[in-house]
Amino acid sequence: MATDYDVEFVEREDREARFLVRGVTPAFANGIRRAMVADVPTMAVDTVRFIENSSVMFDEQIALRLGLVPLTTPPEGEFVEDDTVTLSIDVQGPATAYSGDLVSSDDLVQPADENVPIIQLKDDQRLEAEADAIMNHGKNHAKHQGGVAVGYRHLQRVEVVGDLDEFEEQESQIVRGVVEDDGELVPTSEFDHDLANRYPGKEVRLEDVPEAFVFHVETDGSFTVDELVTRAADSIIDRATELEDAVQL
Amino acid sequence: MELRVTESSETELSIEIAGEDHTFMNVLKGALLESDDVTAATYDMNPEQSGGQTDPILTIKTEPGVDPLDALEEGAITVREKTTAFRDAFEAAA
Repeated sequence: MATDYDVEFVEREDREARFLVRGVTPAFANGIRRAMVADVPTMAVDTVRFIENSSVMFDEQIALRLGLVPLTTPPEGEFVEDDTVTLSIDVQGPATAYSGDLVSSDDLVQPADENVPIIQLKDDQRLEAEADAIMNHGKNHAKHQGGVAVGYRHLQRVEVVGDLDEFEEQESQIVRGVVEDDGELVPTSEFDHDLANRYPGKEVRLEDVPEAFVFHVETDGSFTVDELVTRAADSIIDRATELEDAVQL
Repeated sequence: MELRVTESSETELSIEIAGEDHTFMNVLKGALLESDDVTAATYDMNPEQSGGQTDPILTIKTEPGVDPLDALEEGAITVREKTTAFRDAFEAAA
């Protein structure tokens, strides 16, 4: 079946993007969203060996915090499941141990941000540990979620239906997401999410555009938005292919 | 992906698809319902806490003369093609 999709970026940065997809069914849009959240594997610390921990926190608490530090995930194929990468940390107080203090054994796997505080160390306190990072899915633990804020909304079409009466006070009409005005895509943040700002003195009507969804995708820094979306699509393609093969047998 | 047929007749099929969740099943169901050969398609899944059957069971009913297993294969192909088309469209825009 030949399906025509049309993808158009509204906002685009490495870690955050908004894009419009036309021609998708709600089921398909939700499948892509769920795949981005739960089925794209990322690296995260899973096992920690403590050499010294004289901080005020238990080993387990520090281990959890290390696990939640986003790590860059190597390109597909570079890494197979069950491979580990070791990161070490050695901080002597008085200082704050940051994610940037982690030293990785692999250039491809680094803390995505340098400024995630792990623990504040006072005089004579020290944290020295080795942490093993593994690749796993968001399904198994939230620390492996590559997409941290992934959602979609219907694209909404604005139509000016007439003028307001001369002395009528205009009520604010709040809308969030992206609106389509004469084929032009406008993020609602441009007019403070209030249609009354964009169309003063006008009466406007809003309607959902069928089969048009505006995705908002934000990643934790493990990879770019592009990579997250294509890997999510790949995971669905893989499963469909697998089912195809299984049925043929 | 392990398949286990739980019920089967000329135009009806119930099949357990081990290890899958709503992510794939709902997309597959949506694709099956778009086909003219399929009269009904649904899946049933229980939460982990239910303690019983937790793998999804897909049920397909087809028009007379159409093997539901073929319809399922067709559905899987549709999902693959749709997703590939989406991926291509995304990469073209990116």
